[in-house]
Amino acid sequence: MKPRGPHQALAAPDAREAPGAIGVAVEQGTAHPAAALDDVTFTYAGGDRAALSHVTFALGAGEMIGVMGASGAGKSTLVKCLNRIVPAFEDGAFSGVVRIGGRVLGDERVCDAAPIVGMVFQDFEAQLFSTNAAHEIAFAMEQVGMPREEIAARIAPALAAVGLIGFDDRDPTSLSGGEKQRLAIAAVLALRPAVVALDEPTTDLDPEGKAEVFALIRRMRSDGLSLVVIEHEAEELRGCDRIVILREGEIIVHGAPAEVMTRLDLLEDCGVHPPDLNRVLSLLGIAAHAASIDEAEALIRARYTNLPARGASIDSGGAPALADPLAAPTDDRASAPPIVAVRDLSFAYPYGPRVLDGVSLTIAAGEFVAIIGQNGSGKTTLAKHLVGLLAPAAGTIMIDGRDRAALRPAETAATVGYVFQNPDHQIFAATVADEVAFGPRNFGLDAAEIARRSDEVLRAVNLDTLGDRDPFLLSKGERQRLAVASVLALRPRMLILDEPTTGLDYREQRRMMALVGDLNRAGIAIVMITHTPWLVAEYARRVVLMRHGRVTFDGAVRTFLARDDLLAGSSFRAPEATALGRRFGVVALGPAELAAWIKGRA
Amino acid sequence: MPIYLYIDHGSVVHRLNPTVKVFALFVMFWSVYWVDHPLALLPLGALMIVLAQLTGAWPNFYRLRWLFILLIFFTTLAWMVFYRKGPALIDTPIIHLSRASLTFGLGRGLKLAELLATSVLFLSTTKVEEFTAGLARIGVPYRVGFAITLAFRLAPLFIDSALTVVQAQSLRGYDFNRGGPLERVKRYVPVVVPVFMGALRKANNMAMALEARGFGMSAMPTSYIDFPIRPRDRVAYALLIGLAAIYFLIYWTGYGSISAK
Repeated sequence: MKPRGPHQALAAPDAREAPGAIGVAVEQGTAHPAAALDDVTFTYAGGDRAALSHVTFALGAGEMIGVMGASGAGKSTLVKCLNRIVPAFEDGAFSGVVRIGGRVLGDERVCDAAPIVGMVFQDFEAQLFSTNAAHEIAFAMEQVGMPREEIAARIAPALAAVGLIGFDDRDPTSLSGGEKQRLAIAAVLALRPAVVALDEPTTDLDPEGKAEVFALIRRMRSDGLSLVVIEHEAEELRGCDRIVILREGEIIVHGAPAEVMTRLDLLEDCGVHPPDLNRVLSLLGIAAHAASIDEAEALIRARYTNLPARGASIDSGGAPALADPLAAPTDDRASAPPIVAVRDLSFAYPYGPRVLDGVSLTIAAGEFVAIIGQNGSGKTTLAKHLVGLLAPAAGTIMIDGRDRAALRPAETAATVGYVFQNPDHQIFAATVADEVAFGPRNFGLDAAEIARRSDEVLRAVNLDTLGDRDPFLLSKGERQRLAVASVLALRPRMLILDEPTTGLDYREQRRMMALVGDLNRAGIAIVMITHTPWLVAEYARRVVLMRHGRVTFDGAVRTFLARDDLLAGSSFRAPEATALGRRFGVVALGPAELAAWIKGRA
Repeated sequence: MPIYLYIDHGSVVHRLNPTVKVFALFVMFWSVYWVDHPLALLPLGALMIVLAQLTGAWPNFYRLRWLFILLIFFTTLAWMVFYRKGPALIDTPIIHLSRASLTFGLGRGLKLAELLATSVLFLSTTKVEEFTAGLARIGVPYRVGFAITLAFRLAPLFIDSALTVVQAQSLRGYDFNRGGPLERVKRYVPVVVPVFMGALRKANNMAMALEARGFGMSAMPTSYIDFPIRPRDRVAYALLIGLAAIYFLIYWTGYGSISAK
């Protein structure tokens, strides 16, 4: 059924309609690709190079293409060409041709393309406008002028398609991240577009939300939608028909996942996180692609025949085999006096449920702690208590042996630094150096000391050559490091990082974590709130798992990753290298460690 | 913590036609506008208390309690400086406390508090979609109505963002309360810049998302929700017209002014 909007020219081609099916299906019996870019070049106004350079790209009907590349490679620009956000919405020079279902997009407005191209953005907060889910889904249909009865008839199937049955009256702001993004997808699907583009739809989601969204994307694909998905984690795109990798506005690789994912150096070079499974195979000298853990296990067992049978060295209690050196707990909590000691901490917002419920933990100098748990489990609320931004309803917090209640947030900041998730929540100064000097200046330090500290921390975060730059012109990764530097300038003994790698590409994530690792080796205790499994496995040594405001596990990372019962209820997914290692009875924290262990067994 | 004021309580006020609620907003503002005396404003205050109870809007009043208290207190205090009529109980070069200045100041404070309370009641009982529909029904162009309601949707997001920025800067040792009034205003630069930049980015993202969902395709989009005028809406209209007339009469007869007392 075609939308009956005032702009029929761009209405979707005749579409298959099936109850419960997601969106419109393939253009039947047509030779045209669902979407195509022909020699498209776009340079943003003021840009020193083309964001897209002579890109030619075709999305077959019913096909799913994954787009990867470093930040600034041109991924978002590419998908925004599909519904004319580029160039209609962005200033710059555009050349080339964009076709949707064989029709050339000319001077149409972005809104005119809505019935045929759906767009899902990374920032789900900015794409939900309504007070309940039904209104949210109705919005696009109202805009194209659909009759009320038809709108009403499409809402329930759209909610069902994304697994949100019964959510009609729910306030979108009350939903979890995964639910919000699924609602945004439902709102797009209600118009039954032929093509849906998703621009990093899971960046801000916890592993559970991420899994929900990718399960939905797989279902959209099996229902015949033509999809373009931008993603940094290559393993999420194994199910694509083809993968496109962009570098500096040009397509440099274009092929099937099996072809692209074995080119590990190229992936890393392009800011893409290579799949763990391929990395393990490569390190073991197995020149093959594994599309699943089962396949990787079979390939490894075929080469290394003396490996333990599945689950052999993990006992029924779920503890790792301690005889195995790899499985030895690495929790090295120092015997030093704690920097932070929390006892029986509880908290609730006015008129809200209890967010923290009897939390007790201590953190000592030199520790590296990952706080994990679902969105809303109380991680950030706990962290904000540690620095005095929130006052406990019950319980005590001691900072260096002093009651935190007696300290102002600024006083706590000299001991415990807090780096917010979004660096743009603190950056305001005209230059990088001024931004870093802000904190020490507030503490009344003299100019010489401020200059000394600024130099020191800018060197530590590798921004020492950019002291005169405008912070707003830095990349997201550089801004994140600047935020860390500006907190480090106060020389805290403990640093809390709230999702320090969100929105960064793989190369920037590695650079950021190398910095955090260096700080930890220099003696600063690190508390990292994160949803990213490989960060926890490869960098943290202790895990604090939170659920419904309580600490449900506090111990070594390896012990945590060996406990299926904890993983199952934690909304946390073990990295694939760990999951693969478990097949051989070992709890490995990364591909290199697992490959070394397997080789050692040979 | 909810970022919108709407509370899904399902009261009879919630179920009124949005046009009635927009009219009610106008009538309450109208009534408050015509009278100055605290005694004339008290019945409106009592009506608002009844409505807050009926609509379950107390959590929103609790959230804004300090704003109400400060509004009444400082307005009353301010008029003791500027309203220098009546026999003084206390007279200094700055403060002129008289029965007249106290009455006038209290009246002004109550007026502002009641305007705020009316807005809180309206937003507690009206979804933004209903607000848009209500504005469209009284002839406001769809885009203008949508822009107004979008501002209501965005305001809590920006407030939330501003609070985060304040927290981030205070953790870097920044004291917002140092210096005189001008210095204090200047000291908010480290908050204003990030909030403004964030707002620009958010507004740009939202504009893209809106257009990508078809906003702008039609000057008069269809509406998923139907708002028939029911008997209760007619009763509400009648009561509101009565209230508006009563308050105009109070003004007309002079009973609502301070000088009449």
